[in-house]
Amino acid sequence: MVEPGDSPAQMPQTAEAPDKTVRARVPTLFAAAGPRPLNGEPLIRSRDFSLFYGQKVGVKQITMDIHPQSVTAIIGPSGCGKSTFLRSINRMNDLIPNVRVEGRLEVAGIDVNDRRVNLPNLRQQVGMVFQKPNPFPKSIYDNVAYGRRFQGFRHRGELDEAVERCLRAAALWDEVKDNLRKSALALSGGQQQRLCIARALATQPKVLLMDEPCSALDPIATGRIEELIADLKSAYTIVIVTHNMQQAARVSDRTAFFCLGELIEYDWTSVIFTKPSKKQTEDYVTGRFG
Amino acid sequence: MIRRRPSTDPLRPGRLLRLRGAVDRIFTGLASGSILLIALALVVVLAPMLWRGATAVLFRGTVEFRLMQMQKFGRGNRADLAVELVQVAEVRQPVYGMLDRFSRGIATDDLEEEARRLYREFGKQLDRRDTPAQERTELRSLAKHLRDDFTEAVESTDKAAAREALGRVLRHADDPRLKGTVAEGFFRMARDYGHIVDTVDLSRRAEYAKALGEVRDAIRALFGPRPGEPRPPLVMDQYGATRWDMAERQLARLLTAEKWVEVQPGQPLQRIEVPREQQFAGTDLVPLFPFVRERAVEMLDPRLTFYWQYFIDDSLSGHYFGGVGPEILGTLLITVLAILFALPLGVVSAAYLVECAGDGRVVRLIRTCINTLAGVPSIVFGLFGLAFFVIFLLPKFGFPQGASILAGALTLGLLVLPIIIRASEEAIRSVPPTYKEAALALGASRLRCFVTVTLPAALPGILTGVILSVSRAAGETAPILFTAAVAIGSTAWPPWSAVTKPTCTLAYSSYHIAVGDRLAALVPHNQYGMVMTLILLVLILNIAAILVRSRVAKRLRGQ
Repeated sequence: MVEPGDSPAQMPQTAEAPDKTVRARVPTLFAAAGPRPLNGEPLIRSRDFSLFYGQKVGVKQITMDIHPQSVTAIIGPSGCGKSTFLRSINRMNDLIPNVRVEGRLEVAGIDVNDRRVNLPNLRQQVGMVFQKPNPFPKSIYDNVAYGRRFQGFRHRGELDEAVERCLRAAALWDEVKDNLRKSALALSGGQQQRLCIARALATQPKVLLMDEPCSALDPIATGRIEELIADLKSAYTIVIVTHNMQQAARVSDRTAFFCLGELIEYDWTSVIFTKPSKKQTEDYVTGRFG
Repeated sequence: MIRRRPSTDPLRPGRLLRLRGAVDRIFTGLASGSILLIALALVVVLAPMLWRGATAVLFRGTVEFRLMQMQKFGRGNRADLAVELVQVAEVRQPVYGMLDRFSRGIATDDLEEEARRLYREFGKQLDRRDTPAQERTELRSLAKHLRDDFTEAVESTDKAAAREALGRVLRHADDPRLKGTVAEGFFRMARDYGHIVDTVDLSRRAEYAKALGEVRDAIRALFGPRPGEPRPPLVMDQYGATRWDMAERQLARLLTAEKWVEVQPGQPLQRIEVPREQQFAGTDLVPLFPFVRERAVEMLDPRLTFYWQYFIDDSLSGHYFGGVGPEILGTLLITVLAILFALPLGVVSAAYLVECAGDGRVVRLIRTCINTLAGVPSIVFGLFGLAFFVIFLLPKFGFPQGASILAGALTLGLLVLPIIIRASEEAIRSVPPTYKEAALALGASRLRCFVTVTLPAALPGILTGVILSVSRAAGETAPILFTAAVAIGSTAWPPWSAVTKPTCTLAYSSYHIAVGDRLAALVPHNQYGMVMTLILLVLILNIAAILVRSRVAKRLRGQ
């Protein structure tokens, strides 16, 4: 039995992946923001979720639970469907023509593929950070305020406050507070990526999806982003796709290993990297494969 | 003999590399050469146009110009002008004197009329003076003789006969009964005419009359109406030559006659120029020509004038005087309105084509249609505008039927629509997809994403389309031919009051001057001036748009 909230070191010895029987003891999940999901319920729940690009399989029959206020890493070789799965959570795959899904993928109890789902609302709840920093060609201030503005907050003071809060949360405030009107494109790559995180935080999401957020950054910037992820963990549910296994080991609580569109193994990070139950996983994390 | 061995130096470029370097250099040279050539061609084409156009603004203005400016626009120094007018009038006075003296022998109708008038006056005088009845009858018959003899002398083309008739008149000059009466006018006229008979070849009188008409026209064109003459109704006739270049043309007309002679039978006639001195040889008029030639500058007093008001003045007398103010305003209005119509429509169409439409058969058809539309001759747009906007659509919305700026702008808007659609489509397509992705991932709806992210990022490309459209719309003549243009207009102010009325534009007016009437020969400076203004206007609009575009692009690049 896996008990979220316990430290990985105290993990039980069972090699099974966390399953739907898991119940958490953590009493408060979303202290301040938004409606509270059921206590201890996983926030994101995937049941036999498959996605097809036309005839081609993107991911197939993924069943996993992602728990709130933790960092879940998805690793796997290129083309294994980890990004596809990540982008399914806020339905960014809709941008690609001929995408078809099967199975169920829930966020806070709601099937995201339900036709009645309000996509803008879903995406405001499930923020995303991309591989390459992609700030808008606007000022730093406008970048962060972007999501906030169309949520209906137009009052100057409120926006200022939100921008400062998000930039502080993204550990960028001290570096940019004197020139918020400067173009975001003038920032360095690492700063841009933190700005993108701040921008994603501005809509007050519950979940933050990160699609290889450090792959375009140098080690120092990567280090800062990783620190930031550790800081944000207490307030957000973070799912991070990464190629870098050290990174997964450093930042994540749980790790899922994908291969050829299938979920091979999902467990506490320490388990995956030390005592994986599947041969395939072991080969991958030890570098013999992939 | 030592054979050169191939170099083994690794840093020495091989033959192939050297060849490639040479080819590179040749291509670079060719490319920069052709760019230079294009720039040169542009200068060669534009420079003379601008040079000649500049004469509309910078020229030697005569006193007539200053008079016109004072009377029509209230510009200039009234006191100085008055002094100047007196001075030139003094110099011009002898011209009129000479002309009058000579024309008395030529324009015989005037003399006959004068004789008849004298006779009538004399009769009335007799009645008033209470002369005895018999003397009255005698005098009346005498006056009748005087009149008839004088008329005979005037009508005669034979020198001897004319002298004889004049002698008969002058015989009575000493008659004491006529002293102090109106009849003395007969003797004065007879003496004057006697002088004419001595100097002028009476058989060539008709020829002189024609030449004199030309001289008179030239003098009127030079100096305007004679002092004391009633003011002519046409503005064009109220002033003489306002510009020295115009004056020079009139001077040439005054000083040389044009003759067409048959050199060889069956061949086209040849034009030869005969000096007026030769034409009027032996007559009293001969001194007039050297006099005018020498003192023309004093009579017109040309001064270098910078007439910047050319760009704001209304045209007077169909562009004979005045400026192109209404043309500039009309061109600006119609162009800006056309862009205002075409831009939203074009951007929305482009957005649809890029963002919403897939690649179906219908969409491909639409694309083909847009490309075809760009190649349709502009006169077709003009006729379409006439049929659709002018006759059908606008009257339905309560606008008066007939050409209007609105109809012209709509037509021009259609003309530039494909340009804007294509440029916008390209611009929207080239916005990095990551921007769109970022906005959508933040929960923006597709519309909001387009308006707040894609559109601003595509703005430079869209502005490129606008720049192209402005140049096209401002310079087009055919689409507004039937929909918006009139040859002569006055500045409509405020602009919105003008949109339902026709207007004149720079392109149309210069076309109209060229094909319209006698003006083309008279005011070439105006035609070039319009073309220059059009070039400058388009240049200014383009520079403004380019500045805006570079500012936007700079902001987008994060500088």
